[in-house]
Amino acid sequence: MIKKSSKTSNSNKNYSHLELVNLGKIFFKEKKFLDFRAKGIKGGFEAIKDINLKIEKNKFVSIIGPSGCGKSTLLNLIAGLQTPTAGKILIDGYSIKGPGPDRGVIFQNYALMPWLTTIQNIEFALNTVFPAKTKPDIKERARKYLSMVGLEKASNKFPKELSGGMKQRVAIARALSINPNMLLMDEPFGALDALTRSYLQDELLSIWRKNKVTVVLITHSIEEALLLSDKIVLMSSGPSATISEEISVDLERPRDRQKIEQDPNYLKIKLRLEKHLLRETRAVEEVS
Amino acid sequence: MNKAISTRLTFAVAILSLLIFIIIWQVIAQQGLLVKNFPGSFKTIGSLIWWVSDPFFDNGPNDLGIGTNLLISLRRVLIGYSLAVLVAIPLGVLMGMSKLAQSSLNPYVQLLKPVSPLAWLPVGLFVFRNSEITGIFVIFITSIWPTLINTAFGVASINPDYLRVSKSLGASKSITIRRVILPAIMPNILAGMRISMGTAWLVIVAAEMLLGTGIGYFIWNEWNNLSLENIFVAIIIIGFTGFILDQFFGFLQDKFDYSI
Repeated sequence: MIKKSSKTSNSNKNYSHLELVNLGKIFFKEKKFLDFRAKGIKGGFEAIKDINLKIEKNKFVSIIGPSGCGKSTLLNLIAGLQTPTAGKILIDGYSIKGPGPDRGVIFQNYALMPWLTTIQNIEFALNTVFPAKTKPDIKERARKYLSMVGLEKASNKFPKELSGGMKQRVAIARALSINPNMLLMDEPFGALDALTRSYLQDELLSIWRKNKVTVVLITHSIEEALLLSDKIVLMSSGPSATISEEISVDLERPRDRQKIEQDPNYLKIKLRLEKHLLRETRAVEEVS
Repeated sequence: MNKAISTRLTFAVAILSLLIFIIIWQVIAQQGLLVKNFPGSFKTIGSLIWWVSDPFFDNGPNDLGIGTNLLISLRRVLIGYSLAVLVAIPLGVLMGMSKLAQSSLNPYVQLLKPVSPLAWLPVGLFVFRNSEITGIFVIFITSIWPTLINTAFGVASINPDYLRVSKSLGASKSITIRRVILPAIMPNILAGMRISMGTAWLVIVAAEMLLGTGIGYFIWNEWNNLSLENIFVAIIIIGFTGFILDQFFGFLQDKFDYSI
């Protein structure tokens, strides 16, 4: 549906869309002026280490792991919001230098600007990414993406007038409006009730089918990962979390949430995921 | 319906309490219960009507209409206050964003904030040799701190999600400041501006007693005339003006209330 911009044309076929090489992140405690307590603390907190992962173009990949395993840190690194302390991130073979509009980010708390209406929130993203575009162009494009998530009628409403699900749909429209090659989602449905969550999962699947983007989804829901993903990446418990397993989900698409649960393959993977998560969560809980 | 009755009732109670207050004041004054020659409410209301019915006469600096004096005070406050806001907001944003600016400017802010602005009056007179500019200068010093501190606090405590969105879109620093940080901290800025205006309005009365003309000087002048009822007139008018100014900022704050 959306024509890809020329920025992908120089991509070499030998490269994966996204490649993480020996990626690591250590958070150093920032020493504050006149803060004597910080003197004794050596080193820092190693959130993740030795992350190696390849993600192919237009695939849907979920990253799942026990809480506090550095999933969000990993996503922030890919988004360019934080810089890694080890290793590198390659997109189409090129090392990333920071955030960029080739990656759309969706946050758990929607992160809409409360002083802007829904359409203005999308226009803000468009104006920032495409400063050369004219006002009517921007307006039209914003409207198009708002109607893609079924919210054209709410275009002049403020975020506080919307439900959580509607807010996240606006955030999805905003992230996709800048025409990214990759969508990075940090537990996007974690704050929603079960029914709204199912609705938005279906919505996301249909949007993904039409728009053809690579999706990296952080989640702690096994069912969500199984329903949506081509590949599930399992992370070990933190600190110094790393990838412990990659599981391909070879379930036929489009997937129906009722039918899929009868599939023996689904149940097999689900059991495996549950075992892993339970083991890693136990490791977290029993240490602390 | 119910709401209409309750507003009408509130209004009636307010009027009634005002009437009772006026009567008690009159009785106390007439009986000389407080001190001799204390003006009663009737005399004060009479003066109020006299001053308000012809507010803008000008018979020289010691005999100005109360409206003229009020406008002189308001003009000083608005100029000094506006200059202070123009300085305080950018400086506050800078302090909120940069650790260097924060640590280099904060000692001065903390040291100067608790000083009564009137202490600056002789400094102003010495430097400017002009009472008008000195008045504006004193109001400037008065108004700067609350707006500055609130702005800096607003920037430092901004919801990090907004900044992350801006950063993830690759927004420049200038776009982030103008289109994300400034709108996000509008509630903080307005809260600071409201406090600044309240303090400026308090200080101008005291400053003008020493500087000449304006509503503060009017009070000082009427004290020299031993006309206490005219001082009460000024107090009523100062209170009413301060109330209107405060309500204006309350209205703006409601406009920029983002809370869900």
